[in-house]
Amino acid sequence: MLKVQEIRELIKLIDESSIDEFTYETNGTTVSMKKSTGQQVVNQVSKVEERSLPVAEAQPHVQTTEPATVVSQSDQAQGDTTAQAQSSATDYDYEIVSPMVGTFYEAASPESDPYVQVGSRVEQSTVVCIVEAMKLFNEIEAETNGEIVEILVKNGELVEYGQPLFRVKTK
Amino acid sequence: MSSTRHRLIQLLVDTAEKDAYISGQQLSDQLGISRTAVWKHMKDLEHDGFGVKAVPNKGYRIEQFPNTLSVNAIQWGLTTKWLGQSIIHKQTTTSTQFTAHEAAQSDAKHGTVVVANEQTAGRGRLNRKWQSTKDKGIWMSIILRPKILPHLAPQLTLLTACAIAKVLRTDTSVDAQIKWPNDILINGKKVVGILTEMQAEQDQIQYVIVGIGINVNHTDEDLNDPLTERATSLYQETGLTWSLVQIIHRILDVFEDMYEIYLKQGFKPIKILWEQHAYRMNQLIRVTTHHHSEDVQFCGIADDGALLIEQAGDVRKIYSAEIDWDEKQDVAAAHEYGPPTVNEASD
Repeated sequence: MLKVQEIRELIKLIDESSIDEFTYETNGTTVSMKKSTGQQVVNQVSKVEERSLPVAEAQPHVQTTEPATVVSQSDQAQGDTTAQAQSSATDYDYEIVSPMVGTFYEAASPESDPYVQVGSRVEQSTVVCIVEAMKLFNEIEAETNGEIVEILVKNGELVEYGQPLFRVKTK
Repeated sequence: MSSTRHRLIQLLVDTAEKDAYISGQQLSDQLGISRTAVWKHMKDLEHDGFGVKAVPNKGYRIEQFPNTLSVNAIQWGLTTKWLGQSIIHKQTTTSTQFTAHEAAQSDAKHGTVVVANEQTAGRGRLNRKWQSTKDKGIWMSIILRPKILPHLAPQLTLLTACAIAKVLRTDTSVDAQIKWPNDILINGKKVVGILTEMQAEQDQIQYVIVGIGINVNHTDEDLNDPLTERATSLYQETGLTWSLVQIIHRILDVFEDMYEIYLKQGFKPIKILWEQHAYRMNQLIRVTTHHHSEDVQFCGIADDGALLIEQAGDVRKIYSAEIDWDEKQDVAAAHEYGPPTVNEASD
């Protein structure tokens, strides 16, 4: 969950930008902002509780490899009528984001295999991709232990600062 | 390098500057090592190409400096404060970038420099091959651990280009120009390639490795591969043979100064230097992003180092793109992706 200070910071940045609508999603928490008649509407949807099936504890492996659909519920404490229901298709709990603007490369060279694919196990220091800006090649490490469940960008695509690149189900 | 060797070299530099001699006993006393150890050090220096003059009852003096690369040769006369104070030299390595990555992962300190006489698998952007003829050029990687945010690190590639362009312009009198972000060209031909790689977390840099390849004493024959017609060397441009060691000294000197200015004052001073020698500034270039190409005016760089382009009064920043720098009638060179490799058909 984002801290109040961080949300405040976001509002300020969005306010100064030309962005009308903004959604930020991490760890099942979603923040949506929308500019309307000069005002921002801020929603924070609380962390999604994974539906715990009886088999989940007995067979945790099934849970992590099968993408499960989860539907978020709005934070009751906020009770904001403008809250929008958020859904995400994949069961994940960590996103690897780009530390800078640049081009996303899935492999060290066009001839080599991608660093990771859906299903790859990663550790803290596993290199998952390269982001290049101004001829600086940044090898992005997973910074978590788990399994890649979704790749959100395509090879050669331009990515923004902070843009999620991979979704990981942590171990 | 051992600190004793470092201090020995300093003592010999001081002696040479005073045109004096220093005795084996004095060296032994000042360094706290035996006369035999002093003698062994002097033999090592001779082996590296130093002309050691030993005069009975007077002592030692260095009268000739090596032009072949060695840790001693690079350390000799190097006046930097931190850059190159630790040097790793290899006769042959796959690539100084690989060696530097290994060193950085084993905690090599900020400012460590890796130099090789020859690279067997020199590489440029996305592992493209870099031709690295033995003893002809400078193949060097600098390990940095900057305390700046990762998204600012690309500015270091522009800074490196500025430092090298300055050295080439002042020391070898060539008209070195910088092609965004960091290739250096003379008369439109590539003489220097820079490849920067980083290991970073979201908000903290572990290390940056700046790889530098410079064609120095390559003759026409060395670069006569039909694929290399757009590459050049300092020798080809000036007709003179250059000391690799001296150029390395100067680059380390100027780089260290600029790096410190950058840390204190930010990118602004670097931007000004960069634009002074920009290749094809205010001319049309072709930029391709998302499989969409357009001819735009190159109007300089932004305060953060991004390429500034203008089309119909609309100015935009580019951080990453395929750029065709050639004048449009130049059909033979229609494929320009701007990789920092020297010998490549597409470059």
